[in-house]
Amino acid sequence: MSATGNPRKRQQPPTPATPSPQLKHQAAMEEEELDEDVFLEETLLQYEEEDSQRRALADRLAKWKRPALSPSLLSQSQNIVFQQLEIDYVIGDSHKEFLPSSSGPAAIIRIFGVTREGHSVCSLVHGFEPYFYISCPPGMGPDDISHFHQILEGRMREANRNSKVPKFVRRIELVQRRSIMYYQQQSSQPFLKIVVALPTMVTSCRGILDRGIQIDGLGMKSFMTYESNVLFALRFMIDCNIVGGNWIEVPHGKYKKTARNLSYCQLEFDCLFSDLISHVPEGEFSKMAPFRILSFDIECAGRKGLFPEPTHDPVIQVANLVTLQGEDQPFVRNVMTLKSCAPIVGVDVMSFDTEKEVLLAWRDFIREVDPDIIIGYNICKFDLPYLIQRAEVLGIAEFPILGRIRNSRVRVKDTTFSSRQYGTRESKEVTVEGRLQFDLLQAMQREHKLSSYSLNSVSAHFLNEQKEDVHHSIISDLQNGNSETRRRLAVYCLKDAYLPQRLLDKLMFVYNYVEMARVTGVPISFLLSRGQSIKVLSQLLRKAKQKNLVIPNVKQAGSEQGTYEGATVLEARAGFYEKPIATLDFASLYPSIMMAYNLCYCTLVTPEDARKLNLPPECVNKTPSGETFVKSNLQKGILPEILEELLAARKRAKADLKEAKDPLEKAVLDGRQLALKISANSVYGFTGATIGQLPCLEISSSVTSYGRQMIEHTKKLVEDKFTVLGGYEHNAEVIYGDTDSVMVQFGVSSVEEAMNLGREAADYISGTFIKPIKLEFEKVYYPYLLISKKRYAGLYWTNPKKFDKMDTKGIETVRRDNCLLVKNLVTECLNKILIERDIPGAVQYVKNTISDLLMNRMDLSLLVITKGLTKTGDDYEVKAAHVELAERMRKRDAATAPNVGDRVPYVIIKAAKGAKAYERSEDPIYVLENNIPIDPHYYLENQISKPLLRIFEPILKNASKELLQGSHTRSISISTPSNSGIMKFAKKQLTCIGCKALISNSDHTLCSHCKGREAELYCKSVANVSELEELFGRLWTQCQECQGSLHQDVLCTSRDCPIFYRRKKAQKDMAEAKLQLDRWNF
Amino acid sequence: MAAAAAPVEVDSGNGVLQRKQSIYKSMDESFEIQKEMYRGQQYSQIYFARLHLMRTLLYSLLPTWKPHLPICTVLGLEEGKECIIVGTLYKHMKLKPSILDEYSKERSASPLVKPHNFVHSDDYLVLEDESGRVKLRGSLLLPSVYVTGIVVALHGKETGAGDFVVEDILEAGLPHQIELPLNSGEDKYVVFISGLSVGSSSANPLHFQLFVDHITGHLGDEKEQGIAAQIVQVVVAGNSVEFPRGLLNGQNLGSKDQSRLSEPIKELDILLTQIAAGIALDIMPGTSDPANFSLPQQPLHKCLFPGSAAYNTFRSCTNPHSFELDNVRFLGTSGQNIDDLAKYSDAKSKLEFMERTLRWRHLAPTAPNTLGCYPFTDRDPFFIEKCPHVYFVGNQEKYESSLIKGSDGQVVRLICIPRFAETGTAVVLNLRNLECHALSFGTQFSS
Repeated sequence: MSATGNPRKRQQPPTPATPSPQLKHQAAMEEEELDEDVFLEETLLQYEEEDSQRRALADRLAKWKRPALSPSLLSQSQNIVFQQLEIDYVIGDSHKEFLPSSSGPAAIIRIFGVTREGHSVCSLVHGFEPYFYISCPPGMGPDDISHFHQILEGRMREANRNSKVPKFVRRIELVQRRSIMYYQQQSSQPFLKIVVALPTMVTSCRGILDRGIQIDGLGMKSFMTYESNVLFALRFMIDCNIVGGNWIEVPHGKYKKTARNLSYCQLEFDCLFSDLISHVPEGEFSKMAPFRILSFDIECAGRKGLFPEPTHDPVIQVANLVTLQGEDQPFVRNVMTLKSCAPIVGVDVMSFDTEKEVLLAWRDFIREVDPDIIIGYNICKFDLPYLIQRAEVLGIAEFPILGRIRNSRVRVKDTTFSSRQYGTRESKEVTVEGRLQFDLLQAMQREHKLSSYSLNSVSAHFLNEQKEDVHHSIISDLQNGNSETRRRLAVYCLKDAYLPQRLLDKLMFVYNYVEMARVTGVPISFLLSRGQSIKVLSQLLRKAKQKNLVIPNVKQAGSEQGTYEGATVLEARAGFYEKPIATLDFASLYPSIMMAYNLCYCTLVTPEDARKLNLPPECVNKTPSGETFVKSNLQKGILPEILEELLAARKRAKADLKEAKDPLEKAVLDGRQLALKISANSVYGFTGATIGQLPCLEISSSVTSYGRQMIEHTKKLVEDKFTVLGGYEHNAEVIYGDTDSVMVQFGVSSVEEAMNLGREAADYISGTFIKPIKLEFEKVYYPYLLISKKRYAGLYWTNPKKFDKMDTKGIETVRRDNCLLVKNLVTECLNKILIERDIPGAVQYVKNTISDLLMNRMDLSLLVITKGLTKTGDDYEVKAAHVELAERMRKRDAATAPNVGDRVPYVIIKAAKGAKAYERSEDPIYVLENNIPIDPHYYLENQISKPLLRIFEPILKNASKELLQGSHTRSISISTPSNSGIMKFAKKQLTCIGCKALISNSDHTLCSHCKGREAELYCKSVANVSELEELFGRLWTQCQECQGSLHQDVLCTSRDCPIFYRRKKAQKDMAEAKLQLDRWNF
Repeated sequence: MAAAAAPVEVDSGNGVLQRKQSIYKSMDESFEIQKEMYRGQQYSQIYFARLHLMRTLLYSLLPTWKPHLPICTVLGLEEGKECIIVGTLYKHMKLKPSILDEYSKERSASPLVKPHNFVHSDDYLVLEDESGRVKLRGSLLLPSVYVTGIVVALHGKETGAGDFVVEDILEAGLPHQIELPLNSGEDKYVVFISGLSVGSSSANPLHFQLFVDHITGHLGDEKEQGIAAQIVQVVVAGNSVEFPRGLLNGQNLGSKDQSRLSEPIKELDILLTQIAAGIALDIMPGTSDPANFSLPQQPLHKCLFPGSAAYNTFRSCTNPHSFELDNVRFLGTSGQNIDDLAKYSDAKSKLEFMERTLRWRHLAPTAPNTLGCYPFTDRDPFFIEKCPHVYFVGNQEKYESSLIKGSDGQVVRLICIPRFAETGTAVVLNLRNLECHALSFGTQFSS
């Protein structure tokens, strides 16, 4: 929700959005769910006059309008059914007709959505009031309450002097509720429900009650508040049983078209919150409405050597694709360009003479095509803020009306998002009212652990496609060329706009996110902008409401509350196991434990209560960590109940998934079962998040302690039962156990036998646990290389015939700071060891690779290390290789040097003895061009030795000696740099190709001594050329393929592309090899 | 430059047979890249040169093909308007292997079986000119027949979806042919052989010796010797030797490996010397020979043939190779161009692929896309300017031959030369009437 000042201010020319320091307090978004009120404006902005040129554009855009309304919708004689995507609220006057009894400002809920026919809807919902609870002090009668009301009203008035609200505290009701915390014998207690006028007043009222209030007869008293930190929109959704992304129906006659259209939506109406019908997302209502998804990308003309800044650099192109949800082709493809641009087949190219026209055209386009979801790559941090800030710089006041509300300008706000799981991330927030933003970059960072998040590597990873990357220093040159070069740029820009859409489709983000919102009940926009805990809180609140429970607003305890013992890991018996290892897994261990032992806030018995209540021992569970919880016959916990529902729903979804035939339905169901699984697993984390909403370490530490116990128990049972004495062929041995799995070596040599024993063990041990805790047998590892805890590799078998895949954990390879060589080497070795079962082969491979490295025969691209440049050199405390290099490159050529935000690739070169690693970093291109020798020992010692030894130590004796010090490390070859000082004085002389002896006669290729070996030596030269030619051809035609054009030169400079350096090197080597071959002149 | 074969006498019991002679003219110049350099040029230039060359040609044909239709560029297409566009075809292929696959994250459990053909039913064609690309539709233009790199003219119209629906296709067609010289009534033979693979396990040295003895007239009765005397030219079309590639990894070789490397070449030289002593001999490089990889492959170095190179009858040629013999024009390759077409398109026989290249007027359309080729900057040497009378391709599975006739009266003899090491078969062509037959050698040992 965007912050707005007072309405008058808006008509003045907008001031550049400088990030105000006070916004920093938002850092704690996760802890403090603050509502901010948004005031509806009184005066609508006047429309600027459309000139003829604009009208022409409008005609062009008009064909993409949404479908027209049917007569029954126009006459309001039909129920309106729509899928909502966004819910927020504004402050406006209470509706005279719907709420005749109230007056003054009130919160109006706005629901944006789309009908089945594709009409956009804005529903203004009236009558829902913000409230929270406090526990009623004992002995308070109705008179006392009204007195209390007066005092509170008075204090509120003091605190909010500027507010013109007639009545702050609307009413106080006496209700019967119970706190969710701790087991209580009585079923309910009196609580006071305090209803206030505006959502922000919840916070201010809570503050007053927290600090204490003077009450006659009771003295100064402070109150614990309940559910006072629930966002207003979420409160509304919970109370109306609305979950994120579900369908809502408003019966005809219950809604009324708004007198004055405030939004651009086709259907805009007022209604009462109690008239809404919220549909459970099942059957017909599990479908998706045909949302309009806009994917866009902008290009800016940066100055040489600088990353584009909105204060200087113009926006030159905007590419847009609009797709209807569920269809595989976009129905709008266009690009808006500054200055002329040659046409592109299948794309609407719109060219303009000024930047202002480009920006306004884009705004008009947004308004006309009216997208429900805006996607792109890094749009939240870059594209959207850039457009808005650029419009401010150019003084285009009318630009940022991109939302669905007529007069509301979009603003840029700096926010910091921090969460334990995702870490702290600075970001910009641009709220486009009524339109959901989905930044694929954010989604990727949340959902997938990748070594790089550039659009290029992400699409290479998921779409198996390399993206052409045009360096931003070239963009300006293309822009300043002619309409053909601008077309080139436009094609590139379109591709960048298309890739996010394809990623969205490929990864089923729409389905998965909508389902997650439906399962957890939060608005879709929360899923990207907030952490995990809001999702659990939403479920908890919903469940608590059903049970008449209220959730206290616990003060932030901070991290002092201490930590607790985590999951257990059984000692790993490192080694290379050539017999099948069966793996026994606990299915959803932590949720099962919580269900089995009825662990919840409301079943926890405090130590005092335990003494006082004197509960019979058969009614309580004492957890291994020493806490007491009552069993479900006394009080069923609500966390277990939530979990049961989630898991039952998942089972159902999975069963339906098997039945489903329609691919779209399948996608929905698969998204749902995934969301359910994730949600079930995050409940435990919620109770353990010490700076979360409602931490309860008694629960989380009990869960882990049970977990530990179970692992130990399993180990004991397996080793006791499966013995030679017990009638089995071998003694079983537990070689490793981690969190929720135990690895057992039964001693049998075939996968099938191991599977049978695994199943038997799982069934046997499951029988000893309380339901629903269940040990499952899933897979066999064979062979299995156990390196240490959390680090292993093995072939993964689920059927005795053929292994499914190679599974590795903790041995990677995926880490960003490693060069590709490490990854390749480790992968290849594991392949040889595990799949080919060829340990000597693996050793030989390592030796050959090391020898190649020392002999300078390594493909340079394998040695490139990449690090992100996050700030400028001065801001780093310690000197880092990539930062130093960036500085050096800037001195060489400012235009191509990396900037903050870029990733800096480098290799480590040979330098004077004792030089620090950061002084030895060099640009790979520079290294290639100048024949600078790399430092093989750095790679040997700092990059490959550790991962290699980890793998080989369990297998080989003296691994380090064997691999890293053998005879293969003796011969070394280093290239001579062509640019270093001494070489400038050296005179080049021809040498014999055979023996490198100097030859005086430049006509000869060989010395007299080698003359006899002519044929053999020639074969070698020509074989070298032949190899390079083949490589050259394959590399350069691949790049043509990526750029999608045969007749144009390849411009791509994507350093993320695995073949970028190889391509460069092949070109250079080819030229040299050809010259060498030509010495054998015919 | 004409070199006459040395007159050599053929042994005969009853006297002396004189070997026939003919006039030889090399046309390899355009395939030579001695003066070319790698200066950082890319492949766009050869495509551009090809498009320019072929487009001029196709434009000249348009007035007779469809004079009423306007000519458009890809960019100038308007929805629903019928027109003709000329450009380079690009085939989008699902199964096409990519060098990027080497970097793919996960190895599948079972190694991929390498298909020998990458055609898939989802493949589609795109037409590209300097201005842009357009996706092609229509049942007329079969993606399985065409490959990347061909320049054609298409008649059709753009649909709303941005596709171009093809209604008719115009290929460049067979080039102009110089008239076949009036035959003198004299039989003269040219012998083609390929895939000798000396040094490989499949090669039988005895077969090759029999072949040499046969064509040099050391075998058979008088009649056969008489025929042998009418052989005026031998063409060795690639893959003459085979040696372990693994040896050439940049490391210094031990003396044992040195000889493993040079032994096959020496053996080849000895046999070729026997031929060159009597008959004119052209040797072309192939994939397995010690030559460069990209087309055009440069002549095998004379230092490899210390024996045979001493004869002026011995010519080391380029691949592709073109020459004239008594004004009969020959054009041929060691097989790479046709093998590559067989990987990326479908046809009933290798001869059909050969015929297509003539009709497309391009010897190697898939170069550089899938066939290695030198990045030419200002020309495309694979463009077929003049129609040959004999078009041969080496290193095929079996002997095949046919005679095709062009619309302008062109007559071309197509020959697939089989791999000799595997089939023991060479091919003999009569220069007089372009008739052609296989010459097979076999040995049987009774035990």
